[in-house]
Amino acid sequence: MDLVTDLRVALGVDNVLVEPLELYLFSKDASLMRGEPHVVVFPQDTTQVAEVVRIAETHGVPIVPRGAGTGLTAGASPTVGGIVLVTTALDTIEIDADNRTAWVGAGVINLDLSRAAGPYGLYFAPDPSSQSACTVGGNVANNSGGPHCLAEGSTTSHVLGLEVVLTGGEVVILGSQAPDPPGLDLKGLIVGSEGTLGVVTKVLVRLLPIDPEVRTLLMGFAETAGATTTVSEVIASGLVPAALEIMDQRLIVAVENWLHAGLPVDAAAMLLAEVTGEAEGVDSQAEVISTIARANGATSIEVAATPEHRELLWKGRKSAFGATAQLAPDYYLHDAVVPRTRLAETMAAIYEIADRSQLTLVNVFHAGDGNLHPLIAFDASDPLVSERVYRAGEEIVAVCLRNGGALSGEHGIGVEKRDLMRAAFSELDLDAQARLKEVFDPSRVFNPTKVLPAGSRCFDYGGVRRPAADGVWV
Amino acid sequence: MPWVTDIHPEKTELDSCVQCGLCLPVCPTFRLTGRETASPRGRLQAMSAVDQGVAVVDETFARIIDFCLGCRACEPVCPGLVPYGRTLEGARAEIDAQLPDRERQLSFLLGRVVPSRRLLDLATGLLRLAQSVGLIRLVPARMRRMVGGVRSLWGRGRATLGHAGGSGVSGSVGLLVGCVQDEWFRPVNRAAVTLLELAGHRVEAPVAQTCCGALAAHAGKSEIAARLAERNVSALSGYDQVVATAAGCSAHLAGYAHWGGASLAGRAVDVTVMVSEAIRSGRLPQVDGDRGPIAVQDPCHLRHAQRVTREPRRILEAAGYEVVEIDPAGMCCGAAGLYTMLQPEASSRLGAQKAAQVRTTGLTRVASANPGCEMQLRTHLGDDYEIAHPIEWYLRALQSGG
Repeated sequence: MDLVTDLRVALGVDNVLVEPLELYLFSKDASLMRGEPHVVVFPQDTTQVAEVVRIAETHGVPIVPRGAGTGLTAGASPTVGGIVLVTTALDTIEIDADNRTAWVGAGVINLDLSRAAGPYGLYFAPDPSSQSACTVGGNVANNSGGPHCLAEGSTTSHVLGLEVVLTGGEVVILGSQAPDPPGLDLKGLIVGSEGTLGVVTKVLVRLLPIDPEVRTLLMGFAETAGATTTVSEVIASGLVPAALEIMDQRLIVAVENWLHAGLPVDAAAMLLAEVTGEAEGVDSQAEVISTIARANGATSIEVAATPEHRELLWKGRKSAFGATAQLAPDYYLHDAVVPRTRLAETMAAIYEIADRSQLTLVNVFHAGDGNLHPLIAFDASDPLVSERVYRAGEEIVAVCLRNGGALSGEHGIGVEKRDLMRAAFSELDLDAQARLKEVFDPSRVFNPTKVLPAGSRCFDYGGVRRPAADGVWV
Repeated sequence: MPWVTDIHPEKTELDSCVQCGLCLPVCPTFRLTGRETASPRGRLQAMSAVDQGVAVVDETFARIIDFCLGCRACEPVCPGLVPYGRTLEGARAEIDAQLPDRERQLSFLLGRVVPSRRLLDLATGLLRLAQSVGLIRLVPARMRRMVGGVRSLWGRGRATLGHAGGSGVSGSVGLLVGCVQDEWFRPVNRAAVTLLELAGHRVEAPVAQTCCGALAAHAGKSEIAARLAERNVSALSGYDQVVATAAGCSAHLAGYAHWGGASLAGRAVDVTVMVSEAIRSGRLPQVDGDRGPIAVQDPCHLRHAQRVTREPRRILEAAGYEVVEIDPAGMCCGAAGLYTMLQPEASSRLGAQKAAQVRTTGLTRVASANPGCEMQLRTHLGDDYEIAHPIEWYLRALQSGG
C-alpha cells in the first residue's frame, strides 16, 4: 500500500491530513524556514506513534515531530518533506504529588503542566518565553531554558525519565523516578536531540515546590552597559536570583505599546530581576540588587506591588519576540551564550554589526546566564535584505564564539543554526555525533538534516583507535 | 489578484503576524483539536497563502475559516497587534463572493428576516406559540439549536424600539435595540432604558435603526452588513453616545469604522460600561444588602473584542452580589452568533464545557451580558438555572428595595 493509505489504516482517516493548503499550515514552525510536508498525522497514543515510525521506515520517509510549532530554529519544519508527526493529542498529565513528579504526554502545554501542579503547591521550572503555548515534548527536544532557568537549570535538570519510540517502533522507557539510576544516561542523550534519535511520547518530570515569596524588580538604565554590569555584579555578590532579564529600548517601546504595563520607555535598557524564598530573605536580596543597580546608574527602580503586576511584567518579557511584529514582518533570532563578564563588550559588537549592515537589531535576553537573543527584524520578501541578515547572523555568532561563548543556549540548532555548527565543533566532534545518530537511526527517518551539517560523517575511522573527540560533550 | 472584494485581508494586516504561536492556547478550536488548521496562526497563514498566490479560495480554505468562532480571544494575547477579527471578516466576505453557492439561505435570513421588524415579529410570534404549546420540536433542527435557549417570550413587556424619555442632564444616548435582542431579550433593553434614564440620560431608540449587521459581517455577507451599517449611522447620528445592550452588537458598532461608520464607532459603548460608570460617579446608587454569590460569564465580544471585564463585575458588586469566577481564561461558550447552527458539534462541546464550569461553582444564578451566550448557557444548563444580564440583576436588586 502507499504511504497515505498505510497511515490512514493505522490512525483513521480523520487523523491524516493531505490537502495542500492544510499541509502548508504545517510547513514551518516559528522560525523562517519552510518545507513541504507530504502528509501530517495526529497519533492519539504511543502505540500509534510506534505505528507511524514503522510505516515511515517501511517507506523510507522522514518523520518530523512537531508540538505547538513555536520552535525558533526550524527543528519542526519539514525541510526535506516527509511526515509531520503532531504530538498535541498526547496530552495526559499524571501527577504524583508525594514524590513531586509527573508523567506527562509530549503534547502537554508547558504552562498547563504548571497549572495542573499548582493545586499541589508544585510547578514545572523550565519556563521558555513561549511557555503558554509550547509543549513539554518540544522542551525536551530542545533542552529549553527560560528566564527562571538561571537558578533551576534548563529542561534536562527536570527530566527524570522518558518514554521514547525508537527505530523499528520499539517503545522504551529511559531513566526512572530514582534520582541517579545506574548505567549510561541515555535519557540525557535524548534531551536536546531535537527528534533526531527517536520520538519522545511521554516525559517523567521533576516538579518543584512553589516559592513562598517572590520579589520582582523592574529597573531602567540610561546605558545598556549599566544593566549588564549590574547583572555581573549581582552574581559576583553571591546572590542567585531566580531570573535576570534584559530588554533593550526598541523592544521596551514595542511591548509597552501593546501591554501598557508602565515599562520605562525612555530607558536604553531595562533589567527585570526576580528573587524567591522566605519573606525576609527576598526583601534583603531585593535591597542588594537595588543598591548595585543604583551604583550602576539605574534611572528607575520599581518593585512589583501585586501578583497581577508581576504577572504583567513577565507577560511583557515573554511576549517580546511577538512584539517585533510591530517592527517588521519577519525576524531572525540568535541564541548564543557568552560569559556574563563579557556581555557588555559582546553587545556593543553586535549592535555595531547591525549598524554596519543597516539592519534593525533588538535584544532581549537571559542576562543572568549570558544567553543573548539578538534579533534582527526585517522583511524576508526582499532577498537582498535576507542575504544581509544571514551574513550579519554569522558575524554575530563569530563574535560570541570569539568571546568564549557557545552557539545556542536553549533554542536548539535545527536547520537555521546547523551550518554554524562547524564554527563551534571540530570535524572529529561532528563525526562522533553523526556516528551516534547512525546507531539510533539506521534508516535515517528521524528528523533528518537537522542539527548536524551535511557531511558531518566525513571520515572513516573504522579500525583506527581514535583519540577522545575534544569538546563534544562540554 | 486572488481577492475579489474591497474588504479582503490586507497584506499589511497579515504581515503583522510573525507566527510566534502565543495565540494557540487561548483559541477554543485549537484547544478542541490540537491542530494548526484550527488555530488563529494557521488561519492567518491560510489567508497569507491566498494573498501570495500559493493557495486559492476554495472549499479547503472555507472549511478552515468556517471553523473559527470569531471569539477574538487571540487578539488580547497578540503582541504583534494582528487585527484578527478584521481579517476574518475579510476572509469570510471572500468566501461568500468566490463560492456563492454556499449558505444561500443565510443571505435571506440575515438580509431580509433579521433586519425586518415585521418579519422578526412574525417569527417571534410563531416561536412564542411553539414555546407555549410545547411544540419547540417543530422548529427546524438547525434553528432549534439556537432558539432552544430563548427565554420565555410571555410577559416580556413593550418593545423599546421607538422609546424616547429621560432628562438628558447627563447627555443623550441613542439606544441600538438590536434585532433579536428587542424581541427575545426585551427585559434587558427595558432595564437599560430605566437605568440610563435614572442616571440622567436622555434615551431614544429611533425607529429608523436596524440590526447592527454583526451576524451578516461575521458570515461574510458584506453587502448586507454595509447596508445595515449605513442605516444605523444615519438613524443614530446626533446622540452623545450610542449604546447597545448585547455585547456582540456593541463590539460590532465599535468596529463600524470598517463599515463606513467611523463617526458612530467613536461614540459606541456597551451598556455595562455606561451603567458601571454611572454607579462609579454616584448617578446610580450602591444597593444595600448582601445578595449572595453569583457566577459571572464573560461574553467574548465584551472581554476579548472590547477588553471589558471589570464593568459587569462592578455592577454586580454594586447590587450586593459576590462575584464568582467560572473561567480565568474566558474561553468561548460556543454560541458565537450563528456558530451553534453552522458548527453544531464544536459549539455543543464548548457549550458543555462552559456549563460544567458553571456547575462546578454549585451556583444557580448566572450573569451574562450577551444574548447568544445566555441562550447557549440555558441550552446546556437547563431550566434550573437563572441566567440574566448584569444590569437586570442590578435593577432587580434596586427594585427589591435594598
